[in-house]
Order: sequence, then structure tokens, then C-alpha cells
Amino acid sequence: MSVRRRTLLKVIVLGDSGYVHKKFSQQYKATIGADFVTKELQIDDKLVTLQIWDTAGQERFQSLGVAFYRGADCCVLVYDVNVMKSFDTLDNWHEEFLKQANPADPRTFPFILLGNKIDVDGGNSRVVSEKKAKEWCASKGNMPYFETSAKEDYNVDAAFFCIAKTALANEREHDM
Amino acid sequence: MSSDLSSSTSGDDPADPNHDSAPKTLEDQFASVALNVPENDAPASQESLNGVANGSLTDNNHRTEIESNERQGTAGGAEERIESNLEVEEVRESVERSVVWTRTISELEVEGPSSPSSSGYAGERGSTSASSGGSGIDGMGEDEIQEVRNDGSIDGVSDSPASWVPGKRHLDEDDASISWRKRKKHFFILSNSGKPIYSRYGDEHKLAGFSATLQAIISFVENGGDRVKLVRAGKHQVVFLVKGPIYLVCISCTEEPYESLRGQLELIYGQMILILTKSVNRCFEKNPKFDMTPLLGGTDVVFSSLIHSFSWDPATFLHAYTCLPLAYATRQAAGAILQDVADSGVLFAILMCKHKVVSLVGAQKASLHPDDMLLLANFVMSSESFRQATLTMLSLMSCFDDNFTSTSESFSPICLPRYNPMAFLYAYVHYFDVDTYLMLLTTSSDAFYHLKDCRIRIEMVLLKSNVLSEVQRSMLDGGMHVEDLPMDPSPRSGYLSPHLGQPRDSPERFRESYVGIGGPAGLWHFIYRSIFLDQYVSSELSPPINGPRQQKRLYRAYQKLYASMHDRGIGPHKTQFRRDENYVLLCWVTPDFELYAAFDPLADKALAIKTCNRVSQWVKDVENEIFLLGASPFSW
Repeated sequence: MSVRRRTLLKVIVLGDSGYVHKKFSQQYKATIGADFVTKELQIDDKLVTLQIWDTAGQERFQSLGVAFYRGADCCVLVYDVNVMKSFDTLDNWHEEFLKQANPADPRTFPFILLGNKIDVDGGNSRVVSEKKAKEWCASKGNMPYFETSAKEDYNVDAAFFCIAKTALANEREHDM
Repeated sequence: MSSDLSSSTSGDDPADPNHDSAPKTLEDQFASVALNVPENDAPASQESLNGVANGSLTDNNHRTEIESNERQGTAGGAEERIESNLEVEEVRESVERSVVWTRTISELEVEGPSSPSSSGYAGERGSTSASSGGSGIDGMGEDEIQEVRNDGSIDGVSDSPASWVPGKRHLDEDDASISWRKRKKHFFILSNSGKPIYSRYGDEHKLAGFSATLQAIISFVENGGDRVKLVRAGKHQVVFLVKGPIYLVCISCTEEPYESLRGQLELIYGQMILILTKSVNRCFEKNPKFDMTPLLGGTDVVFSSLIHSFSWDPATFLHAYTCLPLAYATRQAAGAILQDVADSGVLFAILMCKHKVVSLVGAQKASLHPDDMLLLANFVMSSESFRQATLTMLSLMSCFDDNFTSTSESFSPICLPRYNPMAFLYAYVHYFDVDTYLMLLTTSSDAFYHLKDCRIRIEMVLLKSNVLSEVQRSMLDGGMHVEDLPMDPSPRSGYLSPHLGQPRDSPERFRESYVGIGGPAGLWHFIYRSIFLDQYVSSELSPPINGPRQQKRLYRAYQKLYASMHDRGIGPHKTQFRRDENYVLLCWVTPDFELYAAFDPLADKALAIKTCNRVSQWVKDVENEIFLLGASPFSW
């Protein structure tokens, strides 16, 4: 309730690869299905707070139900570049989110894809190529794509910066 | 805490002769207790509660004595051993507290973490990483409110601690701060998507993760087709209140009863509705992403002042309002002009001095709930803009025109949640002086000039009949002082109760041979709530109940008493007598009134009971002056 205008964005992280942010402490995931972290960004002249709901790596995601997705401003899909199955299930996660969150305009709802764990084994155990991932993104309305290593904290901030900008742009459109 | 142990109370016996509209004196109810108990040390046979009322009281006291004797170490003589029900309850509570994640009220077994730290509140996470920017010190042992000790303050002048500064503090804190975690009482408002709306301490945005956790807990339980009402984690209670798309949460280690904390959440919700109306729900229906914080921008002070009032204003748990003591004719004069105005299309006309009502009138069939009055008065008094308008306008006007005395006014949309939560009313607010203000409520958004005219008419009458100066005088004199309690107020004796406002050291004023501070028989304080009038009167604070801390402690004790007397689970009670190391507390509920009285912890029980009868008689003798009588229909 501060006088200064700030924006809070609810970010849902979904996928079969857990641990996308160093700060996540794995406190609640086992019990209520998500962990939470707050991240503050300065975008142009705006102070943006990301309220990140990390549900990634949860087999129990179904139990989270619609309540967890309610009011989401954007969605981060994450897969493990070393595990083919995690890439194959992206379609399910994408659909699942649209179904549960039921956004006003599914085509313009801000998504982003993260290819995670690129640090593992110096990249030698990688099974999903960047090209393949980008093709998938293209088929989903040019979803932005980032390759990250949560462990090395590589590219994670850039990815979240991108998602914040996309969500803000989306919000502005809706305001008009 | 549906304690069946708060049982120093008589069961509600339908055959009880005391049920009549004119209740018997409290002595009668306690008579057999006073006679029988001290002689009987052995556990009495456990007679059923629905025996004779007096008999059941006796039995309960026996049982209590046995259970509590083990904890009685030093203090007290023979009487102390007998009546110490509070301690029993405390034993029970401490047992409950040690149970982590006990069940919720809805009998839900939360399948969840098994340590209190997993609740995310007192977690291990912060203990290593937390940095509180040097604010750890003021978090230590400090209560939730920055209360500058003000023990030397003159009693009776003001009910509310003057030292309290409105507004939000500790903005630098978040859930990782040790100081934040140590605060005794947190309040949160969030949306059902987990977006923070209000937090008593700390910055809402920095607490976004914590807010999300709260929503996750609520949603997790809802997914199981249940509702979470209360979670106990060690010393902490986490109380949840779901109001459509708005979630309210209190996290407290103040040991207040669940019912009280939930009542406080209800009031906070009501305060929000008063500012926005319930139609804010539609915003969430249309857009679940909706961020409510901009709508409430700048209202921090309103919420913090309401939360502060939970510790000093009995109206917050009594659901009754209180009047400024005034001569009957003076209040009548104020009421007459307000009534005049109400007949011209004003919905409610309310003249108040701080949180006390001077007079109040409603249009036909319009009734005003005491909670709405509390929230409205809090809104007006805490918003600087209403007051500042007065000051700046006054000084401006006096520059230009000497004939302009007081011309400031505000006009603001407000909603009375109990009257109609969906619609805005419009409040014309005018301060006559720094404490006294008039509120005229209407349904019409373009009634400003009409209300202004009404106010001018009212002001003229109030000045002519000296109401405003009487109000000032009453503010200084205060109301009922326990020291002034007449000795034998029964009309039979021909003794007349002293009227309020008379010189306090008149020869009439009687002092018993009682040695020490407070009133006769060790009476320290009382609150009398008239059920029919929805009004209460509280005695002025005087030593040893002086200063915000003692006041808060006493009101918390009353609050506990109130909750136990109104617990539906154990039925309505008539009397309760408790003794602990701080007070003797006596509560007496009749169809007409509720009396809460606090005595010296060493006070004699029979004398205390006698004194309560005198208090109730005293209140009746001066009811013309302390209550607003014959007000417009007040039925809800």
C-alpha cells in the first residue's frame, strides 16, 4: 500500500526439472506443492516484484488445482536439457496451465521456456538440442527461450528479466 | 479453546428463578458458594451441572480447587486456594500449545509438516540468513505496538494512549528479518491469488513470497474440500478468515482466544469494505490478476489505528458503543437538533467526541450497528485529511474573514458494512474542535450543500445550548470513577448516588476503610454493557490500571472472559469468578446487562460480589447521563 506505484507479478514455474532458482529452499514443495521466492527488478522506471511460485518437479502438480494458478501473470516452463522426457512433457504442461489458469486470451498469455541444467557434465550429457527447443518455441507463438544453469546461476536473471518485461507488456495491453 | 474448564459458571438452568427480567442480586447467586466452599476440602461428589444453580457452582469450585492446588505455590491464603479457575485454564492451554499442528476447528487433520518451523513462520530458514538491518533490538521483547511508557499520565483524561503514533512502521522488514518474526501479532490481507494487499509490519511487496505461502496453505486445504480456520504452532496461533476473494490472516502469540482474533479479522475486513464496498469482489471475478493495493493507497493509517484499538478499545470485542457522559438535558438538546436534521433526508446524524458518542439519530427504520460506528469513527479519526482540512481551512479563513469561525468540511464516500456492504453512502464530516466532530450520512452523492446547511443549523443550536462546552467539560471530568462508588446505593436507604460531573471530592463521596488504591473492596475497574441499548460504560482508568500496558492486559483479560461467556459450545453462563496473580475478575451476565469487574487479586470474594451489585445499581442510577436513551429504533 505504498504511495509509490509498483507492480507485483505472479510467476508460475512448471515442468519436470526442479530447482530453477538458487534461492529456492525447498521448504514447502513436499507438503503443499510449491515453493516461493520474491525477486525485485527494476524495469525502466518501474519497480517490479516477482512472486515466483516454483511448482517444477512436482509429480503431485494435479493436486495443486486451479487455486495455485489463479491470477498468474506469466508462466515459466522449464525442462532438463539432459532428459528427453522432460522436454516431451512440455506440451502437457503448456496445456495444463492454459486449462487451469484459464487466461482471458490464451494466445497472448506470456510464456517463457527455460532449458535448464546445461552445466551438467560440461554439456556432454545433453540430449535436447537448442535448435529443437527453439523449434518448439516457434510452434507456440514464438515463446522466448533461455538456456540456464540454476546451479551456476547462469542466465537465470536474464530469463526472469525477460518474463517480467513480457508480462508488463501484456498487462499494458489489457489495461488499454 | 472451547474450554469446559472455565466452569466456575453456573449452567443455564431453565428453572432458575434468576432468569426473571429483574435478576436477583449477585450475592444470592453466590451465596451458597461463599458459605459452603471454604469448609469443604474434600472433593465433593460430582453432581450434575443441571442441578440447582448454586449447587453446581459449589461443585465446580471444588473440582477447581483440587486441580489447581498443585500449581499453587506461594501466594494467597485460604480464599486463594478456592478460586483460581484461570490457572486451571492456563494449565490446559500450555498443554495445547505444546502440540504442534493440532487439528483445526473444523476437525481437519492437516497432513503436513510435523514441526512448527515448517509452518514457514518460525522457520529455520531465517535463523541463518536473516539480516534485519539492526532492527533486531527493538524486536526483542517489544510488543506489537510501539508504546512509549506513559504511566505517569493523568488518569481518566484519555482512554487511548496518547503516545501512540499512527501509521506503519518497520517497513524495512520482511519475513527473513528476525525482528519481523518476533512481532507478537501480525495481520495480513491478501487476494485469493496470493497477492499481498496489506501487512501490519513490513513491506507488502517484500512479503510477496510469504503471502503466496498463506494462499497456498488455504488453497491446499480447500482442495481437500475443507477449510482451515486455525493452526496452532507452538505459542503461535494462525487464524484464517476467507471472505470471497479476500483472505485475512492473523498470526499471534498473544494468547488471545481464537474467537477474539477472528473477530478482529472480521473488523479489519469490515474496515476494508467501509473504504471500498464489497463490490470490489467483482474486480476479482473479472480479473483474477487484479491488484487491490492501489485502491487502498494511503489507508495504512486506518488499518494500523484499528489494529491499535484492539488493545485499548473494549468496543472492538463488546460489539457495543460508549457515550460521553453528559447531563440528560444536554444530550437531549443535541439529539433534538440531530433529529430535526434526520427528518430532512439525512440517513444518520452522529455527533461524537473521539470514539464516544454524544448523540446519534437515524432516519426511520435505519439502524446503525455498533461495529459500523466503530469502523466509521476509526476511519474519520485516523485519516488526517478530515482533521487537516479543519486546521488549514480555519487558518486560511481567519486570514480573510474574521466572521468565519469554523468552515472546514469533508465529504467522502464510505460504506457501512453492516448496513449495506454493496453500496456507498456519503459522509459529511465536520470537526467542531480537535476532538468533537459531526458526521452526516446520506445516500445522495450531491447532498453536500444540503448537509452543509444542516451542519450550520446544528452548530448554531449546539453553541446556543452550550453542548460543545459541556462536551469539553465532560472530557476533562471523565465519567465513572471506581473511587466514587457509593456505599449503599439502594434507594431504600434514601441515599442518592452522586451525579457525574459533580465535584469529585464532595462530602457525599464515600471512602470505605479499605486501604490501598482503587475503589471499595479492591475494585479496580469495571465495564457495564447494556444489552438492550447496545452500549457500554467503562470506568475511568485509575491506579493501578493506568498506562497502556496495564490497560491492554486488563482488556485482554476481559476479552477472554467475554469469549468464554459467549462460547456457544458451553452455553450461556450467568456468573464467572476468576482469581489469578493479576486480578480477581468477576463477570455477571443477566438478560439486561453484562458486568465485567476487576479487583485486587487479594480481594474478598463475598465483598467483591457485593460490590458488583453496587456497581450495577450505580450504573442504573446514573444511566440518564452515561447512556443515550430513547434513541431512534435500534433494532438489528
